Amino acid sequence: MTAEAAPEPGQIHAGTGEPLVVLDGVNKWFGSLHVLNDIDLSIARGEVVVVIGPSGSGKSTLCRTINRLETIQQGSITLDGQPLPAEGKQLANLRAEVGMVFQSFNLWAHKTILENLTLGPIKVRKTSKADAEKRGMELLERVGIAHQAQKYPAQLSGGQQQRVAIARALAMDPKVMLFDEPTSALDPEMIKEVLDVMVDLAQRGMTMVVVTHEMGFARTAADRVVFMADGAIAEENTPEEFFTNPRSERAQDFLGKILKH
Amino acid sequence: MEDIVSNFDLVLSGFWITLQLAFWSALGSLVIGALLVAMRVGPVRVLALFATSYVNIVRNTPLLVIFILVFAGFPALDLLVGTPFLVKGIVTMTIYTSPFVCEALRAGVNSVQLGQAEAARAIGMTFGQTMTQVVLPQAVRASVPPLTSVIIAMTKNTSIAAVFGLAEATARMRGFTNNNADDRILIFLVFALGYIVIVEAISGASWLLERRWRTVR
Amino acid sequence: MRMTRIKVAAVAAGLAMVAAGCGDAGSSGGETRDVEADENAEFESGTRMAELNEQGSIKIGVKFDQPGIGFKGASEDEPVGFDVEIGKILAADLGIAPEDIEWVETISDNREPFLEEGEVDLVVASYSITEERRQVVGQAGPYYETGQQLLVRSDSDISTVEDIKGTEVCSVTGSTSLENIEAEGATARGFDTYSECVDQVLNGSLDAMTTDGAILLGYAAEDPDNLKVVVEPFSEERYGVGYSKDAPEMCDFINDSLETAAEDGSYDEAFEITLGESGVETPELPALDPCA
Repeated sequence: MTAEAAPEPGQIHAGTGEPLVVLDGVNKWFGSLHVLNDIDLSIARGEVVVVIGPSGSGKSTLCRTINRLETIQQGSITLDGQPLPAEGKQLANLRAEVGMVFQSFNLWAHKTILENLTLGPIKVRKTSKADAEKRGMELLERVGIAHQAQKYPAQLSGGQQQRVAIARALAMDPKVMLFDEPTSALDPEMIKEVLDVMVDLAQRGMTMVVVTHEMGFARTAADRVVFMADGAIAEENTPEEFFTNPRSERAQDFLGKILKH
Repeated sequence: MEDIVSNFDLVLSGFWITLQLAFWSALGSLVIGALLVAMRVGPVRVLALFATSYVNIVRNTPLLVIFILVFAGFPALDLLVGTPFLVKGIVTMTIYTSPFVCEALRAGVNSVQLGQAEAARAIGMTFGQTMTQVVLPQAVRASVPPLTSVIIAMTKNTSIAAVFGLAEATARMRGFTNNNADDRILIFLVFALGYIVIVEAISGASWLLERRWRTVR
Repeated sequence: MRMTRIKVAAVAAGLAMVAAGCGDAGSSGGETRDVEADENAEFESGTRMAELNEQGSIKIGVKFDQPGIGFKGASEDEPVGFDVEIGKILAADLGIAPEDIEWVETISDNREPFLEEGEVDLVVASYSITEERRQVVGQAGPYYETGQQLLVRSDSDISTVEDIKGTEVCSVTGSTSLENIEAEGATARGFDTYSECVDQVLNGSLDAMTTDGAILLGYAAEDPDNLKVVVEPFSEERYGVGYSKDAPEMCDFINDSLETAAEDGSYDEAFEITLGESGVETPELPALDPCA
């Protein structure tokens, strides 16, 4: 833990002030493995937080606890002031407010691209089919896939699928977007098209938590970088400070390894 | 020979009952089987335990015993006494076949990647919506070949209803062989052909479904 | 007390309560006659009769589920009934003692195959004589004549054949009785055995059971409080003794044997201790069909 483990929101980043997601004393074990160790983290509305760290550091798990795809054993997580519900309908309602983008896209294989965007709004938000499709096409337009709306996921490239997955999450008008290594499964030439969409999203003021290895994205789009090691937050800072002047040994070591090449 | 020709309407009426029995039982088994698989893979422990026990108990019970239970056991307890025989037959076949459907579907569910359900949950779908909208539609596609075998076996199993008051094809065949001791082989062949036609129709439908879903993806 | 097959299975399936309604069909008609083998029986060599006499044993197909006619309880070793007694008389005339008879259960559907394949030497199993059957097997007799009637619950309103229109009536799957009842406008419900059929009538699932009056009387006699036989016979069934077509000489032997039994009173005795128990009058031996 660093001295600034629980910073006042707005102190070192460019959020709008009030905290949207707050993790307080979060602990999680997989058996005897302590995967999340006393995590305190507050994310302000409109803030873009990039979580980096070596593999196995718990950064993906952290991301997945925020919409309770992973349960926690200790501590509390609140979204917009409300603690995460444990089960059932309320949990489903909460998840609808939290967009999630997975490493492996997870587009529904039996639905067309457009259907992937409209299923959530129709079934969860009870939006009319026509409205859902109209909004879906707008979002596909925004991520540049509108002309493929009637295709099936398997007919698209990985980069295109991930852009659709981002649009699918946006179709729910979430309060916050979680990205769990969104470019790790992509061929290098496709990474940029996905990052471009994410940068655009950040510029539009979306609150984002991004687990990634893309340091370029962290530098350009992040308000704050959170560095994790061994299940704990080892350091957090503005990207500029973090990349030029890492304070913790673990961060120096990590940056030394990835920036050499 | 003349008997089966001049009374061919009896052959047809027998197969008509076989078809009704098979159709409604297939429908019932698919619905109950889907519910069972949802319970088995679902988050509620009690339901999972119930579904697992149901599958294991029924799958280990001979169909004949279930027929006896429904047709003789239940009425002795004043249950199902006024129920039409066709309905009792359908109930029996559904009780027996649904665990097999459940297991065929479960194989399909296991073949659907975990991320598919995770994406559905992440977007705010309830467990029921996740199953009906995302998991089961894909599981069914993967389950078509084993499900086809289950439904074909079920169709042939309907012949046991011949000795439980239903004048389906096998019962009619027995009537013909009883009256025409000299024509048994021909009668067997005619009725065997009828079953072959039905089974081939099921196989054909399954083939069409598989082909359609393959081109779609 | 005998439990029907159905009920044994239902109990096995965990429904012990089912047994509470259990009838004791089959407790009567358990009497048998002592029959002595004719030690002086002699037959022309080369005939099937000589063969059987020589071999000293015989396989006879009878029903195991028709009280009064051919019935074997689960715990009993030998079947009892009128057909069984006829079988014993025929065997005795072949010089075969009752203990050397092997009783084989035949159901309606396997009587011809059993005769054709030599599984049994004779069939005495409420085996109605028909032209179709005589195409494939031999049928000597008739030794008894009966007709199709209805067995209903004691409180039933069915009293004439017309009353069964629109009702549900059971018998054994594939039997001629079912076809006849269908022709009378009832829905025919086939079961594997008569006992399962009777259970359906008793538990109220069905309105009536139909088959030859002789069989129905056997069931009614066992449960007179709950069951009764109604309507005049509306078909004519003539029970014959089945034999293989490979041995046509059996016909004359069977007919002679039946006539002797009628003359010396053993036919009457056999009837009185079996079907006669239900109160029916002992009939005369019907006029026998001439052998071809």
